[in-house]
Amino acid sequence: MGRYVTRRVLQAVGTLLLVMFLLHLLTTVAIQLNGNPAQAFFGDKVASPAQLAAVEQRFGLDDPCFDRVGDPCLGPFAERLGQYARGDFGTNLRGREVSDIVAAAAPNTLRLFCVVLITWLTLGMVLGSVAARRRGSAGDHGIRLTSVLIDAFPVFVLLIVYRYVVAVPLHRWAEETFGEDSWPPYWFKPSFDPDHPWATVVVPGILLGLAGSAAFIRLVRAGQLESYQGDHVRTARSKGLAERHVVVHHVVRNSSVPVVTAVGLTFAEALGGAVITEGLMNIYGMGGVLWEAVRNDDVGLVLGIVTLLAAVTVVVMIVVDVAYAVLDPRIRYE
Amino acid sequence: MSEEARPLAGAWRALRRRPDTVAAATVVLFFALMAAFPALFTSTSPRSCPIRDARLDPQGWGAAHPLGTDALGCDVLATLVHGVRPSLLLAAVVVGVSVMIGVTLGLLAGYYLGWVDYLVSRAVEVFLVVPLLLAALLVLSLFQGVDLGAGTFQVILLPAVVLILFGWMPYARYVRASTLEAKNLDYVTAARSLGASDVRIMVRHVLPNAIGTVTALLPTSVAGVISAEAVLSFLGIGVRPPATSWGIQIEQGSEWVTGGAPHILLAPLVCLVATVLALVVLGDALRDALDPRLAR
Repeated sequence: MGRYVTRRVLQAVGTLLLVMFLLHLLTTVAIQLNGNPAQAFFGDKVASPAQLAAVEQRFGLDDPCFDRVGDPCLGPFAERLGQYARGDFGTNLRGREVSDIVAAAAPNTLRLFCVVLITWLTLGMVLGSVAARRRGSAGDHGIRLTSVLIDAFPVFVLLIVYRYVVAVPLHRWAEETFGEDSWPPYWFKPSFDPDHPWATVVVPGILLGLAGSAAFIRLVRAGQLESYQGDHVRTARSKGLAERHVVVHHVVRNSSVPVVTAVGLTFAEALGGAVITEGLMNIYGMGGVLWEAVRNDDVGLVLGIVTLLAAVTVVVMIVVDVAYAVLDPRIRYE
Repeated sequence: MSEEARPLAGAWRALRRRPDTVAAATVVLFFALMAAFPALFTSTSPRSCPIRDARLDPQGWGAAHPLGTDALGCDVLATLVHGVRPSLLLAAVVVGVSVMIGVTLGLLAGYYLGWVDYLVSRAVEVFLVVPLLLAALLVLSLFQGVDLGAGTFQVILLPAVVLILFGWMPYARYVRASTLEAKNLDYVTAARSLGASDVRIMVRHVLPNAIGTVTALLPTSVAGVISAEAVLSFLGIGVRPPATSWGIQIEQGSEWVTGGAPHILLAPLVCLVATVLALVVLGDALRDALDPRLAR
């Protein structure tokens, strides 16, 4: 087990280095083709060459390789890796440290993901189990139709409709019915409120979780259907175990393993969804910061956050792989 | 040939019998027609925007502005109709090229294994770590200043390249897996012992096994690209003005829902959902038809 984990971690470090190099290459090519990003610092104002040079130096863009198209700029890459190793992820255009911004924003993203994860697992386990249990019934077809419909409404559309069409009247209704100081009005607030982070994150989180839950429903259903036909279930039944016991211990538990991997696979997609969710709902999280950074042309901030999120994805993938290996010993010996 | 020997033909027959797939296919064809011949649906230009006509309510079919006008006075129907082409073209190009890249790499990796497989698998891993939307946000904001022109193809070039760059991996994975499975089957060994070349074995004997899974993915992938494009355009980094797209229209419309003109938002939103829903239904039906395990 220890060897498996070590191998997996080393592999992940390699992947992460390659990812950083890829992002670096993209940035370099963009600067070489696009001209000077230091200009973005001044917006529409015209800057003197001296001012430009000062900004270039501050953001580490003064290396001459950025003027030669096709040069991979290995020098600045090594420099940047060194900075990352020291925990320095650069600054945004206003000079605030990216690590500071992330430290302030990450808790809200974590809150969002808690809600998302709970939504995924609840919807997936409940609807998937019901569909598998009553295979072929009207309920099964209904659940299947639901999962197709879920797929057909991208997070983006759900959130736009919620924020611009549903949230305002709902918020007003909640205020009138429950009074201004009660909880319900905060649940339906169309934008994030830093004083009530949990309450205002619940509905966007459920919507984001809903969008990813179709995969879980299908997976749980398929897994449990397979279990129902397995020999161990037939044995358990013929031993005379209560059906309830069979379902809980032999079907649900056995088919839970693939669900763990699905969390890993859906996570990367959910990060993209989190950017949309946080951006549209003004949640001050990593995705919201990224959304604003794209709107403000703050390339340094975008690069820093995408790198960090890629690192997070790598870590999540390792954790999922290790969890999978713990749950299913066959994986370790591959 | 029997039905089992030709999965695609069997799938086609199964699909024609289902009313939901027929309806979904009709919707997709309708929007494809709109993309190809916008003049059939509207004679108004999306660029003529008299500001005094701003935010007119929908007037019904036959009137000057059947779906009303937006905040700048442009005809909503015209914008809608002319916005289909970039979205659908982008989706077709992205999915087409990604499938080609993914299938080729997956086939080579699964067939030759060794260092080819190592390189491809590493590349898949690296590109999978950066979520598609994040990569698109980064690259498109990096290249925002690059001007490529305003032709039909130029406006989608940049988003297309990014979405392809970070979108080919699933196909490579699926094809690699089914190549591994297929290459040790008896008839492949037979073909090899008869002296068939590697290329012939791959194309004639291994690839047909893998194509089913990939085909079932296609409609859903097209739907994914269409909604990704809407998000990118909403942020102003997808299809660029003066070209229009549903994403741009949704962005402009979202401000006016509470301002008394919800139709500016609802029209493109309904079209987007209809297209995506139709494609997802098609994908679902195709998955059923092509996956023998579900056919039991």
